[in-house]
Amino acid sequence: MSAILSVRQITEQVRQAVEGRFPYVWVRGEVTNLSRPSSGHVYFSLKEGDDLLNCVWFRGQQRDEAFDPLTGEVWEDGPRPSLARSMENGQTVVCAGRLTVYGARGQYQMIVDLGQAEGLGLWHQEFEALKRRLAAEGLFDTARKRPIPQNPHRVVVITAPRGAAVRDFIRISSTRGLGAEIRILPVPVQGEEAPPRIVEALERAGREAWAEVVVLIRGGGSVQDLWAFNDERVARAVYRCPIPVLAGIGHEIDHSITDFTADFSAATPSHTAQLLWQERHVFVQHVDGLETALQQAFSRRTGMLALRLEHASRALALLSPQERLRRQSERLHEAVRRMDAAAGAALVRRSGLVEGLVLRLTGAGEARLQRAERTAERAGEKLTPLRRTLGLAEEQRLARMELRLQALDPFEPLRRGYAMACDEHGAILRSVSQTAPGRGLAVLMADGRILGTVTGVEPASRNDTQNDASQD
Amino acid sequence: MKKKEPTFEERLARLQDIVATLEKGESPLEESVTLYKEGLAHAAACRRQLEKARHDIRLCTEEGTEPFSPAEGEEE
Repeated sequence: MSAILSVRQITEQVRQAVEGRFPYVWVRGEVTNLSRPSSGHVYFSLKEGDDLLNCVWFRGQQRDEAFDPLTGEVWEDGPRPSLARSMENGQTVVCAGRLTVYGARGQYQMIVDLGQAEGLGLWHQEFEALKRRLAAEGLFDTARKRPIPQNPHRVVVITAPRGAAVRDFIRISSTRGLGAEIRILPVPVQGEEAPPRIVEALERAGREAWAEVVVLIRGGGSVQDLWAFNDERVARAVYRCPIPVLAGIGHEIDHSITDFTADFSAATPSHTAQLLWQERHVFVQHVDGLETALQQAFSRRTGMLALRLEHASRALALLSPQERLRRQSERLHEAVRRMDAAAGAALVRRSGLVEGLVLRLTGAGEARLQRAERTAERAGEKLTPLRRTLGLAEEQRLARMELRLQALDPFEPLRRGYAMACDEHGAILRSVSQTAPGRGLAVLMADGRILGTVTGVEPASRNDTQNDASQD
Repeated sequence: MKKKEPTFEERLARLQDIVATLEKGESPLEESVTLYKEGLAHAAACRRQLEKARHDIRLCTEEGTEPFSPAEGEEE
């Protein structure tokens, strides 16, 4: 898919196409839409059937003609007014000019340079006939056109030595090229003598075969002035020339037959010089550019080498035994570090395990304890009522036994006033027979002892004894 | 024996070659330095040649050629 163009771009391209293709044309048609505004420019269209060509004839181009622009015939009765002033709608005319594009209207139009009422001039007829004939012979074939050498060193210029053309050519070329040898072959460029002399010069240049290019130039002038360059002999000599021919016939209007035949046709003599040689400052710029590129390339190259040197020395340092030792120790450290880390991790893992186990164990122990406690509680709960029953009976028995025990206390009667007799050894005397006069006697009272000696013994009757016994 | 002075085009072509070689970046250091110096010399010589460049314009007559300078202000 082609690119999208802006209106300006397409208009510009159309303009270039139109102007490039129709730099100068002759057109015959019927005048219509004629308008003469106060600006002095004349606007009209040339019509044929349904087709129209818009034309504008600017005031500056509306010259009174001293001669017939088509035939070159000089009017003996003086200049005639321009057709621009006399033309009328419906009149058939022949106009010459260039086609261009009027962007504001999106139209192509013809900028008229000169015009002539119908009745083709002799010059034009001859010109067209010769052009057709030579074209048919192949003299204008683009296929045979040879390239014009660039910056040539040997150039032949065929022109009038005192003309404006050679002056322009030399002036323009003086700031161009690398210093060429230019040979001027002097010829007249107008008049009867011109065509054969031009032919002779072309043949001489071809014969000598010294030049790289032949330049055929002539300054501006009227149609008559340029007549020599529409000469068939000149055209054929250009065609035969073994060296490329660059033509610069300096006139504003149509290409001459010579222009058509030449290998390349420049617009003016100055233009030929421009085509041949580049301006010297362009060369200077080129050399400058190359020098810059040279410096850049060199510094890049040396920079690259320096970099390589640095890489190499770095690699060398890397390969040194010291460096190797350092790297190995680094590796060792790394290994140790990893080992430590691994051991630590294992430890953490194990301790976690233990903690887990402890937790589980604790839980289990407590659970068992609680279970046992609960069992014990339950057992205790069963015991309580039993204890209550058992305890009551025992307490009562205990109380009774206490009472009986109290009754059996041997000292109790002492507090009621009884006394207890013991011998000198402290043995209780239960019978008078257990003592005798003279033996020691201790009488135990509730609040102490009375010590003495037995002075007599008197056994008692039975009754007394029995009474004593019953009082226990 | 003195070598013929190279033309501008020859020098320019050589300069272009040198730049291309250096830009390829394969030449050893010594060669690079040599090329660089040569390139600089060519560039300087090119400039000199451009400064001196003049067309030699001659008019061909029956007898041969003669120096030519165009007449001023004269029209054909």
